[in-house]
Amino acid sequence: MSFITQVLTALGWIVVALAISPMVWLILQPYFKGWSRAERRAADLLRDTLTPEQFRQLVWRGYLEVPSPTEPQRVYRVPRTKGYIQVIENGRAVMRLCVQPVECLPDADVVVLHKLMIEANEEGYLQKANKYVCID
Amino acid sequence: MLRVMSRRGDDRVTWDEQKVQAGDPEATAAVREAERIFAQERAKGATAFRVEPGKPTQRIEQFDPTAEQIVMVPRVVGG
Repeated sequence: MSFITQVLTALGWIVVALAISPMVWLILQPYFKGWSRAERRAADLLRDTLTPEQFRQLVWRGYLEVPSPTEPQRVYRVPRTKGYIQVIENGRAVMRLCVQPVECLPDADVVVLHKLMIEANEEGYLQKANKYVCID
Repeated sequence: MLRVMSRRGDDRVTWDEQKVQAGDPEATAAVREAERIFAQERAKGATAFRVEPGKPTQRIEQFDPTAEQIVMVPRVVGG
């Protein structure tokens, strides 16, 4: 094989690699995202804020239950990733809430945000939330 | 410690309360910086919480250098 053929083959492979790299990145991006610096810092704050039981619940069930400080029969179910917060009263979902920070935050920070707001500022939290009543 | 949530995770300012009491200039500067950030974030609509293990979370309006940990969250809106 001549030198020119080898160079052309190498160039061909480079072009193929460049062409598929955006697709590969799109596929792998969610996995890398979990290890970004921001996500790691947010995960640290989450671990510092939750009890071990709460952290286990979030990891295994995909949500965190935050008891209402004012209504003993009410809990707020905060999802691990973006989504509605379910309001559970006496074991039944009665409402969904949509509340979001004005600034884009890592998912773990958003969980902490909901927990803190519910525990220490429930009234303000409910005032700001858009509410969707669940009808059986 | 002051932790401010942002797209970068959370930005932290730490200080040693005992050194502040003793008048250590570095610790005092850290507290001043934390106080400045606190005021700046409050002006933007952020809410501050005093978070300490084993104690109920408390919303605070004023910066408290004796707090073990203050977490600031950005303004929220209905989605």
